[in-house]
Amino acid sequence: MRPTLVVGNGPDLFVTGSEPVRAAGPFSLDPDPRRAAARFDTLGPSDLPYDLLVALGSLPVGSRLLAAPPRLARALAEAARRPVGSPSAEELRHARESIPRADPEAERRFFLALGHLRLERALRAPEEVLITLAREEERVERAVGREARAAESFIPVPESPLDRHLVAWGRARGALGDLEEALRATLEEEAHRLVPNLSAVVGPRTAARLVALAGGVGALARMPSARIQLLGSRRRPSAERGPRFGILYRADRLAEVPIGRRGAYARSLAALAAIAVRADASTHRDISAGLVARRDRRIEMLRRRRR
Amino acid sequence: MRPGRSFRPNEGSPRLLEVERGDRRELWTEAVGDPPPVYGERWTEVEERRYRSFEPGRSKLAAAVIRGWAGDLPASGERWLYLGAATGTTASHVADLVGPDGRVYAVERSVRPFARLLSLSERWPSLRPILADARDPLAYASLVPPVDGVYADIAQADQLAIVLQNAELLLTGDGARLLIALKTASMGRHRSAAGHREAAERTLADTVSLFASVPLEPFHKGHFMVGGRWGRATRLPVREDARPTRPRERRPGRRAR
Repeated sequence: MRPTLVVGNGPDLFVTGSEPVRAAGPFSLDPDPRRAAARFDTLGPSDLPYDLLVALGSLPVGSRLLAAPPRLARALAEAARRPVGSPSAEELRHARESIPRADPEAERRFFLALGHLRLERALRAPEEVLITLAREEERVERAVGREARAAESFIPVPESPLDRHLVAWGRARGALGDLEEALRATLEEEAHRLVPNLSAVVGPRTAARLVALAGGVGALARMPSARIQLLGSRRRPSAERGPRFGILYRADRLAEVPIGRRGAYARSLAALAAIAVRADASTHRDISAGLVARRDRRIEMLRRRRR
Repeated sequence: MRPGRSFRPNEGSPRLLEVERGDRRELWTEAVGDPPPVYGERWTEVEERRYRSFEPGRSKLAAAVIRGWAGDLPASGERWLYLGAATGTTASHVADLVGPDGRVYAVERSVRPFARLLSLSERWPSLRPILADARDPLAYASLVPPVDGVYADIAQADQLAIVLQNAELLLTGDGARLLIALKTASMGRHRSAAGHREAAERTLADTVSLFASVPLEPFHKGHFMVGGRWGRATRLPVREDARPTRPRERRPGRRAR
């Protein structure tokens, strides 16, 4: 006997398959496509249409019941108190072909609503928040620098409209500076929370920029240290004269390393950063004290060698 | 593009127009969405229909057509699955090609490009954005009906396996189309670009009746458009640029062992 399969076309669910429930539906998740998308996104037992459960109630005991996606199968298993499996590729394709297409406008609104829901949820993740903050800080930092350079070359003329403009401009630059300061405080807090070991080794702002450049903590943790060393570099790697640094050039305490020894320091720091971010991504243990001690010893050694 | 100029619709995909400008070929698609431009492309209006320039430098599909792609293209009223839609540059043109009665189910994994794809979909009625990983087609298989074709532009080492997994689950059956913008740089350094292309064709030949593939250079370095119709082929197609592959040259700066 062919199994009975529950599958949706977006806003509606359908039953396809065997006797006595040959084919039934649509069972609307909600008449409003946006609310239907919200229900589809969570899809717990309470989100299932009542008439769908009634239709499934007439299935003979022992018949196979399948559902896709897996979330729907779990919800059905809980609501109908019977095992619900996942269909094979062939069974799913057959079922999808046998059910009617959704109304184009309802389908469109369903997909857009579902996209917005999933996007919002994804952006709410701490990692994505950190990436967004790091990119914002970079943008605001560029704006502050650009305004400061413009202000340096601006020639004020006392008791003229230019002077009044300069006063208003100064206020705007002050506000931009305040924004940068507040943004940095938030960014540092988030970086310490999400990547504490990496923040301790390279500083929270550089840690956040590294995560943003890699596209995530997991992606950064999978990178070899040689790649971390060059993340954010603008020059292309070459055998003759490749870049020594990427964004790591902005790491804490770098200014204390003699200029001629910074290439060597970059390699050590990248290696420590790689260890730190792997701990942040997998074990979540605090190993920052040991890593910071190793970094500081390395700085001291490089400073002594110069003398 | 002005009315009366020498533009002609593509045979397989009538919403794609080809215009000869001296020795240069331009491509335009009939827009299903509204301005502003999606990625800075040119717009024009001819006989109350709006067209958008389809730039080969920005889209691998356009580059393939310019380079002589003779295989099928998305056509009016069809449903296509687009893997790796990113911000929707090519996806919007594929949506143009399938027209208002067709559908393009555009899958993108990365959050920020998806945000732009989503806002584009608000004004592109045949685009259906899906935030999901193409490696896990079961996650969206219940949302996407069986499709007439799969277009893939996913720069992953296992891009062929991902595409075949999706095709098996979501294509309507024999005769459905598969178009893959193959990025050889993502497929490892153990083979040359041409070697990757041949290996990909050999892999696909088990399940796909192949079209002749085309290189996408100079528009996209190290890329090829490969594809075909779902269903076993009897033999590989002959490419115009086919030539015996040479062993890869040693890179400068490498010491001999």
